[in-house]
Amino acid sequence: MPTMEWAWLIPVLSFAAFPIIAIGGKFLPGKGSFLAILAIAAGFVLFWFVAIDRIRLGASGVDFFTQRWFEAGSVTLSWGMIIDPLTIVMLGLVTFVALMIQIYSLSYMKGDSRFGWYFAVHSFFAASMLTLVLADNFLLLYVAWELVGLCSYLLIGFWYERRSAAEAAKKAFVTTRIADVALLVGILLLFKEVGSFSMSDTFREAQALMAGGESLLTSGTATAAAILLFIGAMGKSAQVPFHVWLPDAMEGPTPVSALIHAATMVVAGVFLVARAFPLFQASPDALLIVASVGLVTTLVAATMALVATDLKRILAYSTVSHLGLMMLSLGAFGYTAAIFHLLAHGFSKALLFLGAGSVMHGANQTDIRQMGGLRKVMPITALTFAIGALSLGGMPVFAGFWSKDEILLSVLDNRHGVFIALTLVAVFLSALYMARAYFVAFLGDLKEENRKAHESPLFMALPLVLLAVLAAVFGFIALEWTSDFTGIGSFLFYDKPHGFEFNVALGVGSTAITVAAFALAWAAYRTGALSLTPFKRGFFPLIKLAENGYFFDHLYQWTIDRLVLVFSGFIAWFDRVVVNDAGVDGPANSVRHSSFSLRRHVTGRVYNYALGMVVGAVGVAVAWWALVLGR
Amino acid sequence: MIELAHFQIVSGALFAVGMYGVLARRSAVLVLMSIELMLNAVNLNLIASAVFIDPSKFTGLIIAIFVITVAAAEVGLALAIVLRLFRSRATINLDEIELMKW
Repeated sequence: MPTMEWAWLIPVLSFAAFPIIAIGGKFLPGKGSFLAILAIAAGFVLFWFVAIDRIRLGASGVDFFTQRWFEAGSVTLSWGMIIDPLTIVMLGLVTFVALMIQIYSLSYMKGDSRFGWYFAVHSFFAASMLTLVLADNFLLLYVAWELVGLCSYLLIGFWYERRSAAEAAKKAFVTTRIADVALLVGILLLFKEVGSFSMSDTFREAQALMAGGESLLTSGTATAAAILLFIGAMGKSAQVPFHVWLPDAMEGPTPVSALIHAATMVVAGVFLVARAFPLFQASPDALLIVASVGLVTTLVAATMALVATDLKRILAYSTVSHLGLMMLSLGAFGYTAAIFHLLAHGFSKALLFLGAGSVMHGANQTDIRQMGGLRKVMPITALTFAIGALSLGGMPVFAGFWSKDEILLSVLDNRHGVFIALTLVAVFLSALYMARAYFVAFLGDLKEENRKAHESPLFMALPLVLLAVLAAVFGFIALEWTSDFTGIGSFLFYDKPHGFEFNVALGVGSTAITVAAFALAWAAYRTGALSLTPFKRGFFPLIKLAENGYFFDHLYQWTIDRLVLVFSGFIAWFDRVVVNDAGVDGPANSVRHSSFSLRRHVTGRVYNYALGMVVGAVGVAVAWWALVLGR
Repeated sequence: MIELAHFQIVSGALFAVGMYGVLARRSAVLVLMSIELMLNAVNLNLIASAVFIDPSKFTGLIIAIFVITVAAAEVGLALAIVLRLFRSRATINLDEIELMKW
């Protein structure tokens, strides 16, 4: 029996950990935190067995394991999992990053009053995400999708005593829910057309449509469904204009941000588009929308990251920007590149967030202008953060470089020249804000108040080092190693395997841009050779615009205050006056009043009743006479 | 020659008088007496009809005997009620007795 069939254990172990820790945690040593780590570690070990099995079986292996759940009429609902290369790499990312973050949290969350609950929800979060990547039908995917949203709500609002945390959790939940409605409609539309929630059925129809054969889908419904699914993905993956929740989501504990930004939640949207790629490929219009939204997101978020001063906020905008890059890549048929970047970004971003958490833990600062020179007191954090920043900035040999280059390649090959030009701008900005964050926070003179800052304990440093190693060397899987493995494209591909591809001009060009960005940041923020003052004055309106997040929040607040609340006020009035007073109380009152007047005929005097009897009897007699005798 | 119609006229007149008494009188005892009058009008009608239509059958006569029996029981009961009313309220004026309402 193939080991693959046991893949369902990976999420189930973490699911099982949730109630045990949540209910019995306080009786266990360490409040049950070891159970969560054990569950996810077992999942990580199991992942290797499944992955090796998958690679051994190759493309001919079984992809789907479906169990019937129940039948309703002619509809059969089922549980099941797909184990294809996409699932494998996602399983690896989620289990590894979640494991690292949980180990890190042991130190970071020490002494918190809800320590056990934190680990319980953490397990639940990871389990939901693992279910999401394994799901082989849209219904199960949607269930897991919502569970991910719920867990992120619980974790962002983990310190719910703080009003801002509660607000951020609510904002994240509501924003993603709005997008989820579109996802649900898209799933139901596909169900209506295809008659099944199964992904394999749906994608078979989509591929038949693309091949020009007979298909249950038309190009119109395929486009509509793809766009609806993409709106759902936009919510989860924080694409403009749904990106507003992600920067606020850092109100949660920093390891939670790392988990949300790297391995769960936000990558779910990218994953969904990748998973439903046959559907998207059947609709060129939808793919163009994906690419455009991705491009806009990556540019908008990169400029906001450039002006942010809060370390975690810079990282949050950077996540939004890179998610946009992944969407852009998917929209440019760069399936492999998008997932590759998802992995590279996942490792780097987890590393950076954990590094930021380490800074907050050691120096108790979040504003980069208050940091400076932390390299001297926190060497491990500074070194690992540097690796993460270089990787995310796209410096050669680090992971982010390779994946970014694959994205540039697919954009260059498949999209208009405007796309590649703007993508290169985004690459420049991406390197610039990472360099700025690092130079300002870690280099320079150590501030007096930060003298007492200290390096983080072992449990926090260890995940940092492991993630840094990955962020440094992970990119090399893009290269050709053996005749079987000719780059990541030979394992993880959509249409046909492709080996390592490298466009020298593009590679050199993007490297030059990256180096220029780092050099510019060095000159501006480190040596001060380049004064920013005239620049700031010249672009003052633009900078203000970016600092205010392009007024998205203001626009939404205005919409809610002026339109939504006014409209709901009217609805409340309508309900109170028309529905309740007139519709419900009205008939009741009229019955009450009429019975009060009607009872006056009941006098209680016996001769009145007798008269009634007489009148009745005479009436009956007359009627009888008229109807029976008179005929 | 006395015919059935004569009996019916007398019976009807008697019934009408009784009915007037029931509706118009305010004394409970007089109302009861008027009820007796109505019952006797019915009895008269029954007996006359029985004798004139088919003398060989006794159906009407038997019903009349039933009516007399029931009337006796009814008067016994009703007078007891009136007596109780008078004991408790010191009046048998039906205008002042409004017990049979909501």
